[in-house]
Amino acid sequence: MEKNADHTMPSYPNAQVPKGMKRSHIIAIVIIAVAIGALVGSLYDSSTYADLEQAMENPGKEYHVVGTLDRSAEIVYEPSLNASLTTFTMRDLTGKTCRVHLAKAKPQDFERSERLVLIGEANEHGEFEARDMLMKCPSKYNEENKVNG
Amino acid sequence: MTEYIGEHLWAGQLGQALTVISLVGALLATTGYYLGTRTAQAEWTSLGRLAFRMHSLAVLGIVGTLFVMLFNHWFEYDYVWKHSNLSMPMKYIASCFWEGQEGSFLLWTFWHVVLGNVLIARAKDWEGPVMTVFATVQVFLAIMILGVYVGDVRIGSSPFLLIRDLPENIGLPWTAMPNYLSAIPQFADGRGLNPLLQNYWMVIHPPALFLGFAATLVPFTFAIAGLWRKDRTGWIEPALPWTFFGIMILGAGILMGGAWAYEALSFGGFWAWDPVENASLVPWITLVAAGHLMIVNKRKPTALFSLFLLTLITFVLVLYSTFLTRSGVLGDTSVHSFTGDGMLPGLLLFLLFYVGLSVVMLVPDKGQQRFYAAISLALLAIGVGLQVQVPAILLFGAVSIGMLVSAYRQAFLSREPEESLWSREFWLFIGSLVLLLSAMQITFSTSVPVFNLLLEPFDKVFGWVGEKTGSTFFQGLADAKLAPPGEAIAHYNKWQIPFAFIVTFLIAFGQYLRWKETDVRKFRKQLALSFLVSLAITVAAVYLLKYRLAELNLIALFFATVFAILANAWYVPSILKGSLRNAGASVAHVGFGLVLLGALISTSRQNEVSRNTRNMDLRFLNDGFNNSEDILLYRGDTVLMGQHFVRYIAKRQEGVNLYYDMDYFAAVPRTYSVGDSVRVGDMLFVAKNAHQAGPNFLGDQPTNWTPLEEFTRRELWHTREWSAYAVGDRVFGLAPFVQLNPRFGNVAEPSTKHWAHRDLYTHVRYADLTLASDTADDTWMPDRLYEKHVGDSIITPTAMAIIDSVYILKDSVTKRMLGDQYTVYAAQLRVRDLYQPDRWFEARPLVIYANGAPVMGKAAELEGLRIKYGLATVRFEEGPVMGHGGPIPGTDKPRIAIGLNVAESEFLVLQAIVFPGINILWIGCVLLFVGTGMAVWQRVRQ
Repeated sequence: MEKNADHTMPSYPNAQVPKGMKRSHIIAIVIIAVAIGALVGSLYDSSTYADLEQAMENPGKEYHVVGTLDRSAEIVYEPSLNASLTTFTMRDLTGKTCRVHLAKAKPQDFERSERLVLIGEANEHGEFEARDMLMKCPSKYNEENKVNG
Repeated sequence: MTEYIGEHLWAGQLGQALTVISLVGALLATTGYYLGTRTAQAEWTSLGRLAFRMHSLAVLGIVGTLFVMLFNHWFEYDYVWKHSNLSMPMKYIASCFWEGQEGSFLLWTFWHVVLGNVLIARAKDWEGPVMTVFATVQVFLAIMILGVYVGDVRIGSSPFLLIRDLPENIGLPWTAMPNYLSAIPQFADGRGLNPLLQNYWMVIHPPALFLGFAATLVPFTFAIAGLWRKDRTGWIEPALPWTFFGIMILGAGILMGGAWAYEALSFGGFWAWDPVENASLVPWITLVAAGHLMIVNKRKPTALFSLFLLTLITFVLVLYSTFLTRSGVLGDTSVHSFTGDGMLPGLLLFLLFYVGLSVVMLVPDKGQQRFYAAISLALLAIGVGLQVQVPAILLFGAVSIGMLVSAYRQAFLSREPEESLWSREFWLFIGSLVLLLSAMQITFSTSVPVFNLLLEPFDKVFGWVGEKTGSTFFQGLADAKLAPPGEAIAHYNKWQIPFAFIVTFLIAFGQYLRWKETDVRKFRKQLALSFLVSLAITVAAVYLLKYRLAELNLIALFFATVFAILANAWYVPSILKGSLRNAGASVAHVGFGLVLLGALISTSRQNEVSRNTRNMDLRFLNDGFNNSEDILLYRGDTVLMGQHFVRYIAKRQEGVNLYYDMDYFAAVPRTYSVGDSVRVGDMLFVAKNAHQAGPNFLGDQPTNWTPLEEFTRRELWHTREWSAYAVGDRVFGLAPFVQLNPRFGNVAEPSTKHWAHRDLYTHVRYADLTLASDTADDTWMPDRLYEKHVGDSIITPTAMAIIDSVYILKDSVTKRMLGDQYTVYAAQLRVRDLYQPDRWFEARPLVIYANGAPVMGKAAELEGLRIKYGLATVRFEEGPVMGHGGPIPGTDKPRIAIGLNVAESEFLVLQAIVFPGINILWIGCVLLFVGTGMAVWQRVRQ
């Protein structure tokens, strides 16, 4: 019984591992490979900031577009038609404007928004179809400090 | 010099003076402790201690002064004005304190002071070197709130600045008014606390998080001290309880953030992989790894380099997280980061200093240390002097990595035989490395905005290479504007689920391994039961929760977490023989397993029950859009949503909150009796026999329903649609609300129904905010005015109205009642239901004119369509219609122009999500906290 126990207890001595290829080396190689994989993976999965022109040139490719709400154009949100669709016009940082279909309910205080980041793609009709949107309001996190005498 | 009226200058001056004292104290403490350690003269150490005490008192004074200023509403101070107001409840004064950049730095400093004093009392012979490093951090933090100008460069940002002394206000005419505080209305009240933050979570979450951050400094200082004294293992013992204390508190702080997001914010979940969340999670992960390596190395130094690396990197990552969230580099990528405010250079130096210090201390050789320090300083000088910061930082990074590799080869390369494969230390080591990888992956993806900054100076180089080689990769890098992954959650899950699988699997069997060598047979026997039961549970869960084969990663993680929970729970009775003294690790591991299991079940099987069943399909627009987020509820309507019927009752205001009361009713199977008729699509059916409805009509139809061959349109409209469920008893009510805040914007807050096994989480996405009053009726949405002519039609989302005619009511009753000066107009409308185009309605709104102006109207309400038409104006027009290019020919007949108000029945848009098993997560949080606490207590007692 005693002997048997010894036999089934596999203690892998280092002699079994070929010289120059210690277990720690294998681990190190695996670690480095996964780390590089993670770095490349995060670059590969990352999206791209673009202006509207660039997005229009590549319809169907996902971009982040930064811009502002064009307040002169109509914001259409008809919940009784679809509660998760908001249509509006955005002006990107180069000044180009574009009609946007956002697949979200109209956010609170959308009209007051200062800056929008749309995540989505352009379609063939020169419109932008946004899956999601980040919105910054003037006073939510930024400082509003205009005390005029 | 103007004598200002009503200011409380002493507070600001006291605060500023105390800030300077705290800085001087920290500098003196650094010097004293440093010399005390170098020369081993107790006098120096005493000086250091005294100086740290002085620093501590000054910091307490600063905190007290700021509280007094906030408490008394001294709005002449920028910080007070920006972060508090008169109407805010006093219980949130603490939230005001740390809402801003400066206050949260103060909170951090405060915790350092607390921990520093505990260290002085308890660190014994480690006090000198540990406190030297500790005090340097306090120097940096004191500078962060110093707020002085050196030339044009502002150093730090003080919370004690007067509004009239702000750079943007200096020289403005009002700053010369002695009575500006009373004369300018803005000073009467502060801007107040963001309503999002007026929440008890905001009172407890930041202190916990910052105490956690502060706790990471202690192992860091011990590690540096160990390297400094060339005692590479002696520091582990005293640092160990601190490390697990940090794991406990930081973990609690992070989870509180999640609970806050879930309970009080309308983010739709407890974790969103937002950069700010990630920035606090990453140091926790490396701290956990470091803590476990400490346990290994305390017994026998086998992975010292990894231990040093993880311990040092944890604090560096805390600084990096501070840098990311406060310097403004995250910019557009996070919903809740601070803006820059010119803090970037200071924060960067803060970060790089400790990177440099860590590397210097790891290098074993004096000469190499000097070489590295000299290069670093030279790069700093070049970077700042020649404005080539980014290349200098990259070069610094490269040199640092080179030094680390060389340090490892010189001083840490182990010549000892490797640990056995069946030893606890080996798998703890592997687990720590997996945690490090997990932390690295999160850091990479969170740092995407930083990559843009680092790549920017090389745009030209990449562009040139791209042009020469025609490589799109390099051209892409040249104008790289990388954005975070579009599908952030999917991206992180893809990477983190495998890491979590390995880690939880290791947690399951780690404790059953012995140090050095394990009896494999015994090991198998001890684990067999847990393993098999976990397997059975997983099979059952796959069936019950309907996991598909494509979700193999989720199934694997499910198995690993259940295995970890059972094996660790089983460890207490089987190995520890029920003794709870050493059970901290097991309890914490069970907790960790439960946290992951709860997160896994609740997020992978979260069910957005607020499906858009009513109208237009969003997928017409884009395949990627989903319809399952929001539901439209008309007031009074009862709609099946998930397992309940929901009815929107009414809205009510309490204080600043506008509540939307909803009742939820049980959905009971509907019973039909013989002869009942129902509509299915465009067909009518009559019940053959009395029966209880099954889950779908197709199943019931052959045995229970006969189709009607002939019926009128009218019958079709008036017959109810078939449904499986009938409205049962009221079960519960929820009242999601909107916090009204004209200054910061309105905030929707959720209302959640908790059951033992699942939650129903609801929040208002869109609603009308007007309340019923004498003049307004809140059962209708706001009017929309259409200017039209007779013969035109008006298309609204649900209906089309054709204006047939406008005429004057001349019947004698009306005339007699009103008198001759009044004219009553009526518009005759034909209205078509756009969802059932065969349904037509008639509407006849009226308006009463007196002396050429409308005075009163009577709207026509069409209940079946939930729409209301009101006649606002009637005008008679002559002459041609004006087009863009002048009058349009052939349009000069007289016309009747009318203004028509159209309103829909009041509704709101609701999002409702069912989170199954989320209580598993919360129970896990508690156990994780308790278990870690038990482990800390056990170590402290030893």
